[in-house]
Amino acid sequence: MPIDYQPILLPNPGRRHAVTLAEYEARGGYVGLKNALAKAPDEVTGLVKDAGLKGRGGAGFPTGLKWSFVPKVAGPKYLVVNADESEPGTFKDREIMEIEPHTLLEGIAIGSYAIGCELAFIYIRGEYTVAGARLEAAIAEAKKAGLLGLPSQLKKADGTPFALDILVYLGAGAYICGEETALIESLEGSRAMPRSRPPFPAVAGLYMKPTVVNNVETIANVPFILEKGVEAYKAIGNPPNNTGPKIFCLSGHVKRPGNYELPLGKVTLRQLIEEYGGGTPSGRPVKGVLPAGISAPIIHHSQLDAVLDYDGIKGAGSMLGSASFIVMDDRVNMAWAATRMVEFFRHESCGKCTPCREGTDWLEKTPYRIVDGGGKESDLDTLMYVTKQIAGNTLCALGDFATSPVVATLKHFREDYVEQFVKIERKSDRPASS
Amino acid sequence: MTLSAATVSAIAAEVARYPSKKTALLPSLKLAQKERGWLSTETLGEVADLVGLPHSNAIELATFYAMLFTEKVAPVRVEFCIQLPCALAGAEQALAKTAKLLDVEIHGKHGTRHGHTADHQIELHGTVECYGGCHRAPMCRVGDEYVENLKTDADIEGFVKDLKARAAAAPKQH
Repeated sequence: MPIDYQPILLPNPGRRHAVTLAEYEARGGYVGLKNALAKAPDEVTGLVKDAGLKGRGGAGFPTGLKWSFVPKVAGPKYLVVNADESEPGTFKDREIMEIEPHTLLEGIAIGSYAIGCELAFIYIRGEYTVAGARLEAAIAEAKKAGLLGLPSQLKKADGTPFALDILVYLGAGAYICGEETALIESLEGSRAMPRSRPPFPAVAGLYMKPTVVNNVETIANVPFILEKGVEAYKAIGNPPNNTGPKIFCLSGHVKRPGNYELPLGKVTLRQLIEEYGGGTPSGRPVKGVLPAGISAPIIHHSQLDAVLDYDGIKGAGSMLGSASFIVMDDRVNMAWAATRMVEFFRHESCGKCTPCREGTDWLEKTPYRIVDGGGKESDLDTLMYVTKQIAGNTLCALGDFATSPVVATLKHFREDYVEQFVKIERKSDRPASS
Repeated sequence: MTLSAATVSAIAAEVARYPSKKTALLPSLKLAQKERGWLSTETLGEVADLVGLPHSNAIELATFYAMLFTEKVAPVRVEFCIQLPCALAGAEQALAKTAKLLDVEIHGKHGTRHGHTADHQIELHGTVECYGGCHRAPMCRVGDEYVENLKTDADIEGFVKDLKARAAAAPKQH
């Protein structure tokens, strides 16, 4: 039985067109912003801290804490929304931007007030042209209504006008832009290659000015906190570590793939797959589930009763990340699945760090040799050796992510690799679905 | 041949929009590509001049970002996602069926598959890059548009009919 929960981020499941400003205001939209502007900026940051909101893009860093790192100095500061949603299996930010653009804009306005920003950016992956156009239209609506602008018609707690402009910026096809310093490089007009840290973006980010980079879903959580209060937010979820709602993207071998917004810590992985996703189309048992797109270790079918929150998925040997669950039934050969995943990372490595640039090439070629029928058992040792040369030796997390498909599938499903050695026929592209 | 007055004006607007003109380079390259279909060395130089940056800056971006083309592409460019969620939903079969109906021979294997029609009006790609349409898989992009839920033979037959109509309406490549 699906649990009794009223979604707050995606309250219109199945809707395909954007919520208008009038519709949004009719359900309490922009009240959170007005409440925020009546408080001191530090107080707003404190409320977001108290609510326990963690970054929803993957890293899970506390949002209020991130805001508090911005130095209180004169001069430009920037809020940049990371809308470069490119993790395979992830499509939650797309739906927020396409259907609920004002939730995002209100969250940006609140965050900008808290850190003292007057120019915010939404960096959207280049393929999301519909999301970009709808956000532009929503910004125009909000400006016309006096909610945004330089200045807007709203007043801050100190009596001065609230001023904020938001620029939508579309990328051009690079997964690495999801990494915050690579995103900043891209926004500055360079190749999207991660920076070494320190300095961190909070001190020297966009144009070397103090910058906060937050994910779309993270920012979309903020209006509720300011409208309904910290206690109402904490009542959703499983405090203290897992407060608020989370959008779970469900794809792969399920009858009803889609976005499911649920409280953290209230539903198990099995419930998500069976009660929300309708189970596997084939009726076959689940073999494994990737919980954070393809960037976190696969969860073995013996762990399907893990609770869906940061702690529960960690306990199952993986991480919640972006909460993008890719389900595979027992007909999938995991060596085949790993090849498709590592090919992605080889394709998306920016090439800056040698271990990642060279290592992902090996990580792609070796398993493909195995599934193409030309492998040998020592290839598995080579693979593990290569993963150790990459992990922890790169500027950003892409290198670590790239090792995960190989390490975790070898740990849980080694027999899927071994069975390839005894095959005579080539099976590189064996169908994995019904 | 110089870029049209409309594109030049749009690039000027991009330069005025951001705190740094270098930020305007990527959107300006996309504007030029929209007009020309791809970015030749000459076009890259022209855009860099309009933004007020060295030509090397434009070349750096054009040779890094997947959505910028430094070679000619067909007027109808189809990119099927064959990353894991789509592959599990039958994306490879959808690509193969589309290719068959268009009489396109697919070259390469795994995530780098490609082919084109004899008249070069349509090109097909199978890519490992996820487009965020996993819940409506199999799916692809046709130019900048998403085409989703290509689940049945009838879906693909209708899709191929649409592709042929687009190709017939587009300027001829050869």
